[in-house]
Amino acid sequence: MGIFNSINTSASGLTAQRLRMDVISSNIANAETTRAQLNEDGEWVPYRRKMVSFEEKGSSFHSKFQHALHSHSDNNASNQNTGVRVAEISEDEQPFKMVYKPNHPDANEQGYVAMPNVDPLKEMVDLMSTTRSYEANVTSMNASKDMLMKALEIGK
Amino acid sequence: MPTVNQLMLNQAASMKNVSQNRTTPFEAQQNFADSLKNAINHVNETQINSDQKTKALAAGEIDNLHDVMIAAQKSSITLQTAVEVQSKAIDAYKRVMRMQI
Amino acid sequence: MALFGNTFQILDRSLDYASVKNQTISNNIANVDTPNYKAKDVDFKSALNKAQSSLEAVRTHEKHLPFQSGHGLPEFEVVSRQNTTYNHNGNNVDVDKEMTDLAKNQIYYQAIADRLNGKFNSLKTVIRGGQ
Repeated sequence: MGIFNSINTSASGLTAQRLRMDVISSNIANAETTRAQLNEDGEWVPYRRKMVSFEEKGSSFHSKFQHALHSHSDNNASNQNTGVRVAEISEDEQPFKMVYKPNHPDANEQGYVAMPNVDPLKEMVDLMSTTRSYEANVTSMNASKDMLMKALEIGK
Repeated sequence: MPTVNQLMLNQAASMKNVSQNRTTPFEAQQNFADSLKNAINHVNETQINSDQKTKALAAGEIDNLHDVMIAAQKSSITLQTAVEVQSKAIDAYKRVMRMQI
Repeated sequence: MALFGNTFQILDRSLDYASVKNQTISNNIANVDTPNYKAKDVDFKSALNKAQSSLEAVRTHEKHLPFQSGHGLPEFEVVSRQNTTYNHNGNNVDVDKEMTDLAKNQIYYQAIADRLNGKFNSLKTVIRGGQ
């Protein structure tokens, strides 16, 4: 519905930030996971840090195609597909951190263990940034809702 | 609403004794009846317009909520004005009919 | 004389839809942690169902009762979104989406109720005739 466009946009922001927070939580929880997956040789590979990439809704080929398909039947020309979506959840290609722990069960011949490439401090900063973005989206949605409720009071 | 239509047109017909210097009574009656008809059509149009916008709101095809509310208020005020004018016209008619000749 | 025309029926039906949707959203929010719970939504019945429901039953005898073919207004039903999983426990409720749907539905309900109120008041004004 056209009147809810701004609310839908804020909702997409909320969903995207929540997903980003899930990814950050996963990174923090797995900051010391040395046995995340098995590779082709049957050896354990440590956890790789995940990152999310956002893109604007309506800028991908799929959404432009859908818009072109349906534009002839749309009565209102308003942009119904604004907002943000998560383009992909990718893995950080930085090399693993090598830590000297000769007694660790996953140590290699030189005594080094490959630890995940997660920096907990960086993740905490990202977490704060995500929280602020989430709150900003909530404020924006409250403002849109207040405007609509005020519009309902016209003539009262 | 057929009742309002009929009542107001009846009032127009019964007021054809208004004396005019420059126009004949027939012309005066025609002018008055025409403007009355236009007013009633205007009330009807605002009602239909507001109805259409309300149906569009229920179906989810509206872009601006304030459009619907403003159209609704306009039609409500227009209708109330028409009802007031009708009641004043009836009062005036009754007073005229009460006059002792 | 029909006092309440087509618009009243449409507004009435929209209020039904909004209140069913409100119950569905509350149910979803209450079950945000339930394992294997799939979020529910309120859908207008598909066009196929609508076309089928508009078929007239042929009566072989005058006195047979006719089938009720619906009142020509859109029907809606509660459906379940089966295909997605968000959590490890099979739950697919997106709490942000449910909260925003709650807000949107509340605004929709108030707008429709306000319009219905306005129409009833107009009828009363005309019937009272300005007294």
